[in-house]
Amino acid sequence: MSRVRTIAAAQLRLFVRSRLAVVALALLLMLSLIAAVTGAGQAARMAADRATAQAASNSAFANQPDRHPHRMVHYGTYALRPLGPLAAFDPGVDAFAGSLIFLEGHRQNATTLGAARESSGLIRFGQLAPAFVLRVLVPLLLVFVGFAMVVGERQSGLTTLQLSHGASLRDLIAGKALALGAVAGVAALPALGALGWAAAQAPADAGIALMMALAALLWLGLWVLAITLVSARAASAQSALLALVLGWAVVVVLVPRAAAGVAALAYPLPTKAETDLVIHDELRRMGDSHNPDDPHFAAFKAGLLRRYNVALVEDLPFNYRGALSAEGERLTSLLFARHAADTAAIQMRQHDLLALIGLASPAIGFAQASMAGAGTDLAGHIAFLDAAEAHRYRLIQSLNGLHTWQVKGAADAARNRDPIAERQSRISSQFWAQQRPFAHAGPSVAARMAGMLPGLAVMLVWAALLVWLLRRAGMGAEA
Amino acid sequence: MIAALMREWRLLAGPARAGLAVLALLASVAVALGLADVRQTRADIARVAALEARETAAIAGFAKGDAGEFGYYRNFPVWRAPGDLAFLAPARGDAVPAVMRIRILALEGQINDNEAANPELLLAGRFDFAFVTLYLGPLLLIALLHDLWSGEREAGRLAALDSLPWARRRLWLPRAAIRCGLVALALLVPLAAGGVIEGTAAERLALAAALVLASIGFWALVTLAVARVEAASATQAAVLAGLWFAITLVIPAAAHLAINAAVPLPDAAAIARENREEVHAGWDRPKTETMARFVALYPAYAAQAQTGVAFTWKWYFAFQALGDEAVAADSASRDAGIARREAQAQALGWLLPPIKVAQALQGLAGSDVAADLAFKADLRAYHRRLREYHYPYLFGGAPMTPADVAAAPVWGQ
Repeated sequence: MSRVRTIAAAQLRLFVRSRLAVVALALLLMLSLIAAVTGAGQAARMAADRATAQAASNSAFANQPDRHPHRMVHYGTYALRPLGPLAAFDPGVDAFAGSLIFLEGHRQNATTLGAARESSGLIRFGQLAPAFVLRVLVPLLLVFVGFAMVVGERQSGLTTLQLSHGASLRDLIAGKALALGAVAGVAALPALGALGWAAAQAPADAGIALMMALAALLWLGLWVLAITLVSARAASAQSALLALVLGWAVVVVLVPRAAAGVAALAYPLPTKAETDLVIHDELRRMGDSHNPDDPHFAAFKAGLLRRYNVALVEDLPFNYRGALSAEGERLTSLLFARHAADTAAIQMRQHDLLALIGLASPAIGFAQASMAGAGTDLAGHIAFLDAAEAHRYRLIQSLNGLHTWQVKGAADAARNRDPIAERQSRISSQFWAQQRPFAHAGPSVAARMAGMLPGLAVMLVWAALLVWLLRRAGMGAEA
Repeated sequence: MIAALMREWRLLAGPARAGLAVLALLASVAVALGLADVRQTRADIARVAALEARETAAIAGFAKGDAGEFGYYRNFPVWRAPGDLAFLAPARGDAVPAVMRIRILALEGQINDNEAANPELLLAGRFDFAFVTLYLGPLLLIALLHDLWSGEREAGRLAALDSLPWARRRLWLPRAAIRCGLVALALLVPLAAGGVIEGTAAERLALAAALVLASIGFWALVTLAVARVEAASATQAAVLAGLWFAITLVIPAAAHLAINAAVPLPDAAAIARENREEVHAGWDRPKTETMARFVALYPAYAAQAQTGVAFTWKWYFAFQALGDEAVAADSASRDAGIARREAQAQALGWLLPPIKVAQALQGLAGSDVAADLAFKADLRAYHRRLREYHYPYLFGGAPMTPADVAAAPVWGQ
């Protein structure tokens, strides 16, 4: 073991003496420092903006004047996707998923906003966050630093010399890997520092931040092993470099994009416009509130009259119009929920296909694990959409309840033509302040941890494979 | 010259030929995916238009000619029809919808709607022809050209080869030319095939081909400049890969951060809230005040703007329009800010030719930020036309006949 350490120390001295390696490492450290600082600043600003917007929306709702409750159904409210503290480390899908939804009656609105729609086209080249540095930049730096470490010495005859002095090839390879691992550790420091800083802001996330750090180190460990392996196996330093750069381009750049293209084609998503139209059509067949002879609403009315044993809706102990609104909302929301679940299911199938393709390219597994940990993955976005829809339904039905029980039917019926009835149909503003505001904490720590497992498993499989290949390289040449 | 090129082709090593074949394959796959995407987008648009016609027929059943009912319930499909080069960098599945539906209610609450896209797929980026041209073509070119001289030096043949008469013209030029030419061919043949399938206008296809050649030309010059320096082939490869990496990944990502920090935008959530407040305040304001403000915008309706105590649709649509009017300046300054961000990114492209090529390809494909902004501007103009088509019925009180319903402005016409 001490021989391995000696070899590693010697290799590290060589790294330090190599101008290319030192300059590249210095540039990378600077870049990831910039990414860490701006990432933290940007995420904090965005999180604060969203919290402010949510508070403004909540207080606007609570402070509306006396009104007819159905007016509040249309006035609606907003839900903003909160940004967790670890988003500073990995913003994940945040830029591409709308962060704001307008919640109102009768409609399930699309999300709006999102950095991708308010940035220049450069956003397609990638976002310089600490996670991006670890996933994309650090591996290539390690390639540049380490490609020649074994094969270069073999080409110059040094390896034979070292072996003749009693070092085993195995020690040699282990020492080189250890040295490159040390470089990886240094290169990862600013990004991991950013993660630590983010976790310090939210101690509840410390455990999952640690898991994310381990995932990052595992990912870089894969590169250390792969680079050592290629350097030990390659015929020349040049071919080692070409093979590694090509491998990096395929694993980090090419396959994730190609996988996304394949997933989009394999499980096509309907457009929001088409889904809305299909919902309208299905709704008409379930119960058409515009049709006075619609069987569903006729049965609904007959059922109420029978239950309360009255002949006319005017004799019901509550406002029939409110009850009708609540029934209409129930029907539309059933369809909204079904179609939203269909859309989410297609998106998750796309996600699972990416994960499967990730067996061939662990960059996908690492990205998915990191986003899941930060709570900025697809599942986190879907959880937000579900929470927003649940809130919308609860709020609208609560307002429909007020419409049913607090607004007199006679005033309600006459409000559009009689100013006195209009005034009587308004209810106290105190009811608005009593509505529970939207609150969504994001996915739980347990769910995020579970979301990290598939990606971690893929990386562990790769690590085992690479270690096995490296051991063979260490023994094969010795025999 | 031909003989020299043929000789260099025969001398091309197996891995180099394999690399060229893989590049041609990837470019073909990218074009095929692009074509499939474009076809799906067109089908999406056609389906929405057909479903919308059925929806409008259903509305006609209960609206009974009331322009207010039509105005409230009827949606009008709008879309971004993929052009003849959209397959280079298709936009299907983007956050910006390729097809959406708008009503003549306040537009501000509709125009920013996102597509129900999978954000994880957008995050990964697209595997399209623009990507192959920007990232993969140059990488292969670097692999083929970086050791043009150092490879021979390391094999011990350089001095002998250089001492040949006319070595530059008879040896190095054909060698570099065949390698650049083959990379170009691997990209241009799939591009041409895509163009033929799409029936692309010849001059636009030529423009796209010129962009591909410009990218290859840039990287060939850079690579040959580095290859000429006397250094180990591995060092040259590392320097070139580092340059490629900086130009295609690091600098754009860093510039994106810098540009967004340098050009702040008005808060979109606040604009949305203000629009809603303005629209809903309409319910509580005296009708005469709302109508007076509307008439200031549309004096032609001054004689028809009187209202009674009862609800009337013209008043409802008047305060919808006033809601948009109230945030028009903020909304325009937001779009202007986005345009300024894009202008700075385009300026960066003039410094880094590969970035400019990618931007220009996206421009030709109609999937760049300029196209998004143009779509929004078209959408605002169309929304105005729709509103103004309905106002005479809303204010004049004449019912909309089926012919009037059918004659409403159609997107893109």
